[in-house]
Amino acid sequence: MGTVPKLFKKIVDMLVELKDTSELMMDLAYSSLLLNSRELAEEVQSLEERMDNLHTEFELLVLSSGFKPEESKDFLGLIRLGVVTEKIADSAAQIAQVVLRGLEPHPVLKLVIEEAEETVTRVQVSKKSSLVGKSLRDIQIHEETGMWVLAIRRGEKWIRPKPDVLIKAGDVLIASGYAEGEEDLVRLASGEHILRG
Amino acid sequence: MVVLKKIEYRPRPVRDLLVEMKDLSELMIDLAYSAALFHNRELAEEVLELEEHVDTLAYILDMNAMLAARDAEDAEALVGVSVVASAADKISDAAADIAVIVLREIGVHPIVREAFEKVEERLTRAEVKSNSILVGQKLGELELTARIGVDVIAIRRGKEWIINPKEDEIIEKGDVLIARGAPMGIEEVKKLAEGTS
Repeated sequence: MGTVPKLFKKIVDMLVELKDTSELMMDLAYSSLLLNSRELAEEVQSLEERMDNLHTEFELLVLSSGFKPEESKDFLGLIRLGVVTEKIADSAAQIAQVVLRGLEPHPVLKLVIEEAEETVTRVQVSKKSSLVGKSLRDIQIHEETGMWVLAIRRGEKWIRPKPDVLIKAGDVLIASGYAEGEEDLVRLASGEHILRG
Repeated sequence: MVVLKKIEYRPRPVRDLLVEMKDLSELMIDLAYSAALFHNRELAEEVLELEEHVDTLAYILDMNAMLAARDAEDAEALVGVSVVASAADKISDAAADIAVIVLREIGVHPIVREAFEKVEERLTRAEVKSNSILVGQKLGELELTARIGVDVIAIRRGKEWIINPKEDEIIEKGDVLIARGAPMGIEEVKKLAEGTS
């Protein structure tokens, strides 16, 4: 489709980003609650600010794209999808705020958390790591370490851990699981053998 | 006059409820986008079914919180649970909004569909007919992932939802399978379930 105007490609790209960001926020928000992690909750809040700007920019682009009257239904669909991502992001922020509001672990959430023995950990993938250039499907982090990858941070960008995502050197993996898996994950990501004393 | 079903209180651990809501929210959003992108009314209708289920869970979560409060201090703490329940409800509403785009024939611009088709695996809904070879089989023994690259991510049995069904779940006649995978595998599952294979 060589005739697709540049503007339209930009609209689609932005919609994909809105969708991915809102779903990532939801994953992180629930995880912040279940793992009582202020760190994850704060990430949700910072993503929320980005979402707001992105969503406004998206709506302006759609409205200024000069669509024809007969296309208006298709474009209404686009605007609605945008609104949905915004709603999901707001709800995620609302969940994260519950975690952030408590100065110490929120008393009621203690009940929820007490049963959770998992921790959240973040590791950076080194150039030497065997993970570099492989997809999440291939490296089977859960099978190898027992840890679940919740999100991947690449510079300023956040990526949802879908099976076909390729790992790059410098990526920061955010994962949850039991403490004993943490060491294995660090070893995989650093590409070094850690000698156990 | 609209008559809504009365929701009875059931004691359930708050953590279980939260985990179920998290899984449901993710499932609903995935289903809703698939419905919109592939213009699939059946999937859209499943989303609306799920929304009703989430509404019920949100009510039960709220009731559990109310019952647990004995004094002002408890109330302050438990308000967090209510906030999460309402956020989960909002997320499910958002997914239902997407389903409505499909059911009201608003549609999504075809170019968007193309953009998403490249990245997304497909979801499908398949009803298990009485003559299907799947009836009475354990999910794990079918090895659908290994054989045709398809994961059954949920089963609806009447009004009950089984999210992320376990390997020993036995498939019954009338079950609605929600499956994810590559387009060819998805077609295959539909044939197997409908007994046309």
